[in-house]
Amino acid sequence: MVVAADAAGADAVADVTTAYGVGIGWRPEIAGFVAGLPGLRFAEVVAESVHAHGDLPPGLQELLDRGVTVIPHGVRLSLGGAEPVDPERVAHFAAVAERLHAPLISEHIAFVRAGGVEAGHLLPLPRSYAAVDAVVANVERLRAATPVPIALEPIAAVFDWPDDELDEASFLTEILDRSGALLLLDVANVYANARNRGTDPLELIDKLPLDRVAYVHVAGGADHDGIYHDTHTDAVPQPVLDLVTALCERHRPPALMLERDGDYPPARTLSDELDAIAAASGYPAVT
Amino acid sequence: MEQLAATGDTWGVPGPTFLIFYVALIVLVAIVAAAHRRALFAGNRTTQVDRLGPQQIAYLNGGDQLALYASLGGLRAAEAIASATDKTLSQAGPLPSGATALDTAVYNAAGNRIRAREVRADRWVAAALEQLRTGLEQAGLVVTADRQKAARRWALAGLALILLGVARLVDGLQNGKPVTFLLFAIFLAVAVTLRFWRHKPQRTRAATKGLSSVRGNYDYLSPAQSPSYATYGASGAAMGVALFGTASLYTMDPAFAAEAEVQRNNVGGGFDGGSGSSCSSGSSCGGGGGCGGGGCGG
Repeated sequence: MVVAADAAGADAVADVTTAYGVGIGWRPEIAGFVAGLPGLRFAEVVAESVHAHGDLPPGLQELLDRGVTVIPHGVRLSLGGAEPVDPERVAHFAAVAERLHAPLISEHIAFVRAGGVEAGHLLPLPRSYAAVDAVVANVERLRAATPVPIALEPIAAVFDWPDDELDEASFLTEILDRSGALLLLDVANVYANARNRGTDPLELIDKLPLDRVAYVHVAGGADHDGIYHDTHTDAVPQPVLDLVTALCERHRPPALMLERDGDYPPARTLSDELDAIAAASGYPAVT
Repeated sequence: MEQLAATGDTWGVPGPTFLIFYVALIVLVAIVAAAHRRALFAGNRTTQVDRLGPQQIAYLNGGDQLALYASLGGLRAAEAIASATDKTLSQAGPLPSGATALDTAVYNAAGNRIRAREVRADRWVAAALEQLRTGLEQAGLVVTADRQKAARRWALAGLALILLGVARLVDGLQNGKPVTFLLFAIFLAVAVTLRFWRHKPQRTRAATKGLSSVRGNYDYLSPAQSPSYATYGASGAAMGVALFGTASLYTMDPAFAAEAEVQRNNVGGGFDGGSGSSCSSGSSCGGGGGCGGGGCGG
C-alpha cells in the first residue's frame, strides 16, 4: 500500500513538471471567448457537462483540435461521501477523461450527497481519520477506472465541524500521501478560509506539499455581511492575486486557471483577469 | 356521324401517344426551367459571407425583420436603447461607435418613442433596410426582383401545360375516352407549376452556403449555449440574433424582447434550431443552489 502510494506519487511528480501556464475554466457561456485566446494551452471543463459518447459541446472539440489540454473537473462524484462512489458516475468520468485525452482529472474533497439526499452543493468533510479513510477508498475506486492521475481540490467552507481531529494541512497531506493523488489548490478558497477565520493564508500554503500541486484555481469572490464568499461570479480581488504571487515564489505550480462560473463580464475584463494571473505567476499572457 | 366521332382519336392523336408527348413536355419544361432557375439563384460564390456584419447576416437569414431585430439586439446590448412597459422604445445612451446606417435610423426612431413594431415603417429605417438589401443584391447574395420575376415566368409555361392538358381532358371526356392517366399527368403539370410559382428564395445559393459556414463559426452564440452576451458585447448579441433568431433576444434580455414585441423564433429557413449541448449548466458549483449563498467552495 505504502509502496503503491509512493509509486503513484512519483508518477505524479513527473506529471506536474509540464508547464501549461495560465488557463481558464471552459464554460459554454464563454466558449467563444475561450476559443479566441491565442496562447491558451489548457482549460478545464466540468466533467458532468460532457457527454461520454455523444457530441462534445460546441467549441470544445476545436480546442482539442488546437492541441489545448482539457482537464475534466468533477463536481458530483462525492468523493468524500461515506458510501462508495457511484460506479456509473465513475465510469462516466473515466470515459470523459479518455474522450478528452486528458492527462489529469480532478475532483473535490467534499461530499454532495448522503443517504440518498442530494445537497446540490459541495459540502465540507469533518477533518477526521474516518473521513480520510473514506476519501482514500473512493479515490482508489476512481483510480481503478482510469489510468489518469487524479488531482483533489479542497473546498472553501464557512464553518468547521466540531469533531475535527486534524488541521487542514495535515488533513490534506494525509489524504494526498495515502491516496497518491495530486493537489488542485484553489487559492481563492485558501484566501476565503483564512479570511473568514482570521488566519494567515500563507500559513496553510507553507504547510502543504507544493510539489504535489497539479494546478491552481483562481477565482473571484465578494464580501457579504462580513463573510467573504468564494462566489466565482465576481472579480478576482487583489489579495488573491497577491497570494498567487506568494505561492509562485515558494513553488510555481505548472498551471493556474481562472475559474468563473457566472455573471460573466465583458471579454476585456476576462482578458484583464487572465493577464493579471499571468503577471502574478510570472507565466506568459495567453490573451 | 356521332358514332364516328366517338370512336375516333381526340384531336386525331391516339391517347397513349399524346400522353407520352405530354409527359415528356412537362419533364422537358421542368428540366430546362430548373436549370435556368438554378442559374438565376446561384449568386456570387466569391463573396465572403463571413466578412459580413450581423445585420447583413440577419437579412440573409430572415429578411427585413430579422435585420431589424439584430440592430435592436446590438443597440440594446450596447445600452443605447431601452423599452418601456407601454412597449415604446427610447434612447438610453449614446449611439455606439461602429453603428451602421440601420443602427442610426433605429436609434433615431427610438428617440421618437415609437413602438418597436412600428420601427420598420419609419422612413429612415425603411431606407436603411433598402440600402442593406441593395448592397447584398450587388454582392450576389440576395436574389434581385428581376431575377425573381424571370424565375417565376416559368410558371406561365407550366400554366400553358396545364391548359393544354385540361383542353385534352375536356375533349376526351366528351369523346367518352378514358382519362385517368391524363389526369395524373395534369397533376404533375400542376405540381411543377406550383413549385415554380411558390419557390422564390430571397437569398442566393452562395448566400445559403456561406451562412451555414458562418453559423458554424459562431456556434458559441447559439441560445443552447446560454451565451454570455456581456462577454461577447453588442456585436456578439447582434450576431446571435442574426444567426439564431429572436430566441437569442429572449435569452439576452427577456423583458426588452417582450416589451419590444419581438416575434419569437423569427428566423429564415434551413435552420436547425435548439440543438446542441443538453447540459443544463457548465458551472462547477454543482448546480442546484448555484453560487449565491455559501459560495461555490470549489
